[in-house]
Amino acid sequence: MQVRRDHVAGGAFVIAGVLVLAASTDLPFGTLASPGAGMLPTLVVVLMLALAASLLLDAGASPPIADIDWSDVMHALRVTVVTGAAVAVYTVLGFIASIALLLFALTFLLERKPLLHAAAFSIGATLLAYLLFATLLNAPLPRGFWQ
Amino acid sequence: MEATFDSLLLGFSVAFRPDVLFYAFLGCLVGTLVGVLPGIGPLAGISILLPATFGLDATKAIVMLAGIYYGSQYGGSTTSILMRIPGEASSVMTCIDGYAMAKRGRAGAALTIAAVGSFVAGTLGVVLLTAVAPPIAKFALGFGPPEYTALLVLGLIFLAYMSSTGLPRTLLMAAVGLLLGCIGIDVMTGHFRYSFDIKELGDGIGIVPVAVGLFGLGEILSTPSKMVTEKVVPPRLIELLPTRSEWRQSAMPIARGSLLGFVVGIVPGSAHIIASFLSYAVEKRVSRTPEEFGKGAVAGVAGPESANNSASTGAFVPMLALGLPTGPVTAVLMAALLIHGVPPGPMLVNEHPQVFWGFIASMYVGNLMLLALNLPLVGVFVTVLRIPYAYLYPLIIMFCIIGVYEVNHSIVDVWIMLIMGIVGYLLRKFDFDPAPLVLGLVIAPIFELSLRQSLIMSNGNWLIFLERPIAQALLAVCLLLIGLALLSLRLKRRDWRAKLAEAEAGEGAEPG
Repeated sequence: MQVRRDHVAGGAFVIAGVLVLAASTDLPFGTLASPGAGMLPTLVVVLMLALAASLLLDAGASPPIADIDWSDVMHALRVTVVTGAAVAVYTVLGFIASIALLLFALTFLLERKPLLHAAAFSIGATLLAYLLFATLLNAPLPRGFWQ
Repeated sequence: MEATFDSLLLGFSVAFRPDVLFYAFLGCLVGTLVGVLPGIGPLAGISILLPATFGLDATKAIVMLAGIYYGSQYGGSTTSILMRIPGEASSVMTCIDGYAMAKRGRAGAALTIAAVGSFVAGTLGVVLLTAVAPPIAKFALGFGPPEYTALLVLGLIFLAYMSSTGLPRTLLMAAVGLLLGCIGIDVMTGHFRYSFDIKELGDGIGIVPVAVGLFGLGEILSTPSKMVTEKVVPPRLIELLPTRSEWRQSAMPIARGSLLGFVVGIVPGSAHIIASFLSYAVEKRVSRTPEEFGKGAVAGVAGPESANNSASTGAFVPMLALGLPTGPVTAVLMAALLIHGVPPGPMLVNEHPQVFWGFIASMYVGNLMLLALNLPLVGVFVTVLRIPYAYLYPLIIMFCIIGVYEVNHSIVDVWIMLIMGIVGYLLRKFDFDPAPLVLGLVIAPIFELSLRQSLIMSNGNWLIFLERPIAQALLAVCLLLIGLALLSLRLKRRDWRAKLAEAEAGEGAEPG
């Protein structure tokens, strides 16, 4: 059998639904006259499972999974890793250091821009953003261990 | 009528305050930029800038954020006409004839017709909003929990019916949104739900990290820089004037698009996208020269551009009058009002008349500002497009992080945004529209509260929804829509929604 797009999508939602149901066991369903904290989540998960099952049943009409264009996946992966790293150090290093590093990594390492251009862009954009948010808009940005 | 006029005068006294005018201008300017830039739509723009409004009062905040929304509808036409790249989804139809006009050397005329059409439609939309919203709000004052439950169900079903990705996929996304909305402390019993000992999740998942992740970061993840072109030539100021014949050809499409857009805008769903598509189809149908469509028909620019602007105004009717968001953008705008302690809904007109009427009056002014901004400054906006995407998307990521972090000063929110970015990327790959997910997340607390209150009121009797006439009527419409959708699925009919999906995917399909 050829694996199709909706086999994967429907299957993923079924697994997610079962996991949520398992995590809902400690929530009281209550009664109809006195609904508990678990009533809506349970009803919604059941609906989600039914809809996921309908996707699976109709999956034959969807395109084969191999037809999905994944040409951008490496770009997505790299951007996610770099952004994740910046988020991990955001409150530790503070706004200026972490964002400057994020911009530099994206422009120099990922986009292969010249070193000086990337460095000037990263430092300039970070300082401008700091000026705009921290100084003009009075939005407190994390200062990290420099504080 | 006299009362409405007096209230509108009150609104203008608010809208003409210099500080409110400034924020309206700022919103329109940012909105135009958001519309011009491919890859960042009004939703991401509003979400990213939401924290910047925390220091403002509710009126200035909503005036600025709404300015971004309708400003983006104006700006979206620029890239469609000059580059054949829709700055945002509702400008897809403008690409077809707008770009064809540009190829014939009529780019300036196309831009002017789009801007004037947007202005006329936007202004007419506000006039209709002024007339329609207060009576609907008055009517909705009689709504109790069962009516609200039925109304929210109808909103979701309508959204699913109108969606181009099909009923099960849309409802599935809405269900995921509702589930995400259940995370956190249950307000009625105090139970912690799905917080997994992460104390930041006790307050639930915020709309901003989810919306910015799905629409801002998700879009960046699926757009490598090599896929973005930067070649564009702005028209000279002298080329902006359409000929008399072009004005004549655009008059009726603008009028039709304005009315059609407003009506479609009230209906839940991606109204501004659907409105532009329907307008294009109508114009082609009524045209004496349908063969011109696709080759630079003036009506193919004037109709859809008017319709998407009018629809974005129409979408404010259910938001302001009923407290019902009809799409993700109005959902985030509604969240903005809630953050500022102003709950939208039937009580808004009476309890916060300055916010309600000030907001409406600011839209009249905003439309004028946009007309003045969009034509003479088209060259400036086009210059923004020359920023290489390799530098632009890191900046957008930076704004996403700042915007999300500043809402609660919570790094957990930024992680949620990143996760939602990956989810948004995967959802696009598997042909899911993430918009209903955001809508589900927004309405989850209201829906749960009204459902549980209804059941408590009736001592557990589900029939309460069938015993009250308004709820009964709303649920009957739900059943009708589900029936129609199932019939369409059964017949495997390639209806207008399938064609819309193709157009949104940029496959060059033309509506018939």
